[in-house]
Amino acid sequence: MHSIFSRLNNGSSLLSSCLMGLLLAVTLSTFVFTAEPQGNLTIGSIRVLEGRNPRRYNQKQEVGVVRFNVTADLTPLFHWNTKQIFLYLQAEYNTTEGVQNDVVIWDRIVRRKEDASINVVAKDKYHLRDVSRTFRGVPHAQYALKYNIMPYVGVLTYGEVARTSEAVVFPKLGEL
Amino acid sequence: MFSDELKAFRRLGFRHVLLQVLNFASVIASGLMLWKGMSLVTNSESPIVVVLSGSMEPAFYRGDLLFLTNPVSELYKTGDITVYKIPGADIPIVHRVLETRNFPIKDWDPSTSSSPHPVEQKMLTKGDNNHVDDLALYEGLDWLERKHIVGKVRGFMPYIGYHLTILLQNDFPQLKYALLGGLALLALLQRE
Repeated sequence: MHSIFSRLNNGSSLLSSCLMGLLLAVTLSTFVFTAEPQGNLTIGSIRVLEGRNPRRYNQKQEVGVVRFNVTADLTPLFHWNTKQIFLYLQAEYNTTEGVQNDVVIWDRIVRRKEDASINVVAKDKYHLRDVSRTFRGVPHAQYALKYNIMPYVGVLTYGEVARTSEAVVFPKLGEL
Repeated sequence: MFSDELKAFRRLGFRHVLLQVLNFASVIASGLMLWKGMSLVTNSESPIVVVLSGSMEPAFYRGDLLFLTNPVSELYKTGDITVYKIPGADIPIVHRVLETRNFPIKDWDPSTSSSPHPVEQKMLTKGDNNHVDDLALYEGLDWLERKHIVGKVRGFMPYIGYHLTILLQNDFPQLKYALLGGLALLALLQRE
């Protein structure tokens, strides 16, 4: 009954239940942190150019190139269970045909508190495209800066840092 | 080597063997019940998955455990991390939603429709660690659709599934067969 095997078995099962309890406690502790990060988002310019449809390579498709300015302070989001923050900027628009679109145009992975003060003036990483292959049916778009906190263990949480206060009008092909 | 074990086996008799089989069956059955029960609650065919690729590093490494839900009442949003399975592809993929296009369904009737939303979602995903989006992974499909998605990642636990990646993938074949053989031997020879 008191063989080395049973001792090992009991010891490891106690250890693993302690570990699970600890992980559960860490998971629950994350719900205490409810910081609201501050940030600002402005859209510099939008250009609509002619490009190719990545799904049908011989087809032409309009491509929206967005320049933007993002400042955000994500430091309050870093607590002891923050592994990294996925920050993303998305365009939100409805076409005249009633299709609702959310399209991420830029993202960044923030892994350290020292890098959490964001100040970016940049062009999009992923160009805007519409399913109809043209932006003629898209009068304007809203832009929002959002984040996803990815923990060491536990629940993934989402939130919004900033949003354009007014809808940004889409230019015609070739115009600024 | 096993003669002692065999003797012990004979001594314990037929009823004991039956009891052992019954115990074994009840363990298997309760595990399966738990799994299917979780499936029902989360509306996901596989509510817990093990990460098998490095395309979401540095967030998810191989062997990390992900907990999924797939609520009917919720539409997928950009930034959600989904697990999806394209018909024809052998392993499910864990990637983040980059684009959602919600097409309105004409003549939508809430009493007959399976979805509580009058929209049909088309999505594009991308792995955080990949340079390009997943279009090439869709096996010729233009968009990812709801029916391809197993669930949305809600919770995360590191490392726990690493032994499973050894069993499921062929990085260390000797270790894999040694583990499997050892487990089988233990299961056969254990007497309690």
